Amino acid sequence: MKLVVLSESPEDEAAARILVDGILGIQTKLVAPPSLRARGWPQVLNVLPAVLRQLHYHTDADGLVVIVDSDGSTPHQLTHVPSNDAAQGCRVCKLRLVADQVQNGLTQVPNRAPLKTAFGLAIPALEAWLLCGVDPSAIEAAYIQRPDAAKQHLRLQLKRDVYGTDRPSREVRMKRMTEEAMRLVQILDEFERLFPNGFGAFARDIRSW
Amino acid sequence: MIESVEFRNLKALRNTSLPLGRFTLIVGPNGSGKSTALWALLAAGNMRLLDFNKIATAGLPVDPSTTVEVVLCWGKPYDGVMTYARWSTSGRNHVHANIKQELSDDQVRSLNEDLNNILGAIRIYSFDAPSIAAPTSLEPRMTLLSNGGNLAGVLDRLRDHEPERFEALNEEMGRWLPEFERILFDTPSNGQRSFLLRTREGHHKIQASELSQGTLIALAILTLAYIPDPPPIVCLEEPDRGIHPRLLREVRDAMYRLSYPENYGEKRDPVQVIATTHSPYLLDLFKDHPEEVVIANKVDQDVSFERLSDRNDLDEILGDAQLGDAWYSGVLGGVPSHP
Repeated sequence: MKLVVLSESPEDEAAARILVDGILGIQTKLVAPPSLRARGWPQVLNVLPAVLRQLHYHTDADGLVVIVDSDGSTPHQLTHVPSNDAAQGCRVCKLRLVADQVQNGLTQVPNRAPLKTAFGLAIPALEAWLLCGVDPSAIEAAYIQRPDAAKQHLRLQLKRDVYGTDRPSREVRMKRMTEEAMRLVQILDEFERLFPNGFGAFARDIRSW
Repeated sequence: MIESVEFRNLKALRNTSLPLGRFTLIVGPNGSGKSTALWALLAAGNMRLLDFNKIATAGLPVDPSTTVEVVLCWGKPYDGVMTYARWSTSGRNHVHANIKQELSDDQVRSLNEDLNNILGAIRIYSFDAPSIAAPTSLEPRMTLLSNGGNLAGVLDRLRDHEPERFEALNEEMGRWLPEFERILFDTPSNGQRSFLLRTREGHHKIQASELSQGTLIALAILTLAYIPDPPPIVCLEEPDRGIHPRLLREVRDAMYRLSYPENYGEKRDPVQVIATTHSPYLLDLFKDHPEEVVIANKVDQDVSFERLSDRNDLDEILGDAQLGDAWYSGVLGGVPSHP
C-alpha cells in the first residue's frame, strides 16, 4: 500500500507511518518524495483540496493520512456527522467534509481506485498520544475536561514530559517520536480505549481501508 | 546575559526599551530600529563605531548636554549591573558600568573586565553570499566575519582542530541540503583556502562560488552553530534570507543550538542570540514561545518594542491563527503603516 502523510515535520510523518503500519499490520510504502508538509492548523485544511487533487490525478497513492492537534478545539466524537459538526469547530469533521466535497468532484482516472483518507485528532497535541501507557494521567477524556487544554503551558509541559525539554533538537524529536510510536503499536487496544475519539476514530478510518 | 537595552535619542529609538532573553526574535517594519538596536549593542563595546552626528535622533537640539544613550541592563550572573554608553556633541563619548552591589576594588575590576570582554566579543552577522564563497587567506586563528567572510578558513580550522564537530556539521549539512554530502577544500593559491561541496549523486565537486545564495547562507549559519567557541552574544540579521521556508525549522534549531546548548549535547556556555526577520514562516515556529518574540512598532517617527508574551490577550487574539499570519495581518503590530 502506498501512503502519503500530510504533516508538519519529518518526525510527525515518521510517527504517523509507524501508527498506520501497526494498525494495518503491514508495511506501507511512502509515495516518492517530496513529502507533503502543512504549517499546522488552519493551513492543513486550506491545502487539503490541492493535496487531494494532486494525489488523485498525479500519483498512485492509495491512502492519505492527516493528524492534527486539537489545540483546545471541539473534540471529535464518534457520533459526529461532518455536515453538522464541522460548523461546531470539530477539526476532524471539517477535514472530512472538505475531503468528501473535493473527492466527489474529481473526474475518474482509469485504473485508479478512490483515494482512501484517515484523519486523526491528537487531543490536545501529539505529545499526549506519546505519553499514553506511560503517564497514567495521559487520557483523552482528562485533557478534554481540562479548562486549559488549549493553553501554551500545557503544550510546553507535554513537550517537556516527552522530550525532556520544550525546545527539543530534531534528533531528539525523531528518536522519541519513533520510539513512542513503536511502543504504542504494541498497545493499540489500550491506546484506542484511552484516546477513543481522536485516535480511535483514526484507527477505525484506517481499518476501513 | 543582557536582559534589556534602553535607548535615548538614537535615531528612531528616541526613548524605548528592548527586552531580551537567551533567544530573541525581533520582527517589525523596515526602518523600525531593529538593525540600529543591534549596532548599538556592538557600539557599546566599541564606541568609535558610532558618531553622535550620524546617530542622533533627527531634530534633536544641538546642546552640549544632549547625549545619545544606550543602557544595557545585565541579568545573571551580573544581576543589577548596568552599562551606560553615551555619545555627546563634544565627541567626549564614554562607557561605564554602574554596579549596585558592595564589591571590593578587585571584584569591580574583574567584573568590568568580564563585561568589556563580552561587549568586545559581540558579533552581528548579516550574511552575504559572495563574501561567504570568497577564498580565505589562512591565519592561525580564523573567525567568521560579519558578512560570512572567512568561512573557508573557519571550516578548515574546524576540520583540523575539532574533527568530530566537523563530521557532525557534515552530517547536519546532509540533512539540510540532501543533495550534498561533504565539505571539501581547495588551495586556489599559496596560503589561501576555498571550499567546495561534494554532491551525493555522482560525487561532483561544486565550487563555493557556484553554490546558490541560500546554500551558502545555510552553511554559514550551520558553521556558526557548530564552532566550539561562538561569540557570547550573536546578532543575526534575517537568517532566513534566501532559505527555503521548509528549512526554517532547521535554521531555528541552529539558533537554539547556540542559545540552549544543553538541549543539543553541547557543554559550552549559552550564547545570547538576537535575530531579526521579516518572515512570517520563521515567526510561525515561535508560537509556543511568545516570550522569545519582540514586536518593533513604529508610529510616525517613534519606535517601541513589545515582548509578545506581555500581551495578556494573545491566546484570545490568535485563536487558531498562525503567529506569522496574525503578524502579517497587523493585529499584533509591527507592520508598515502603509500599504
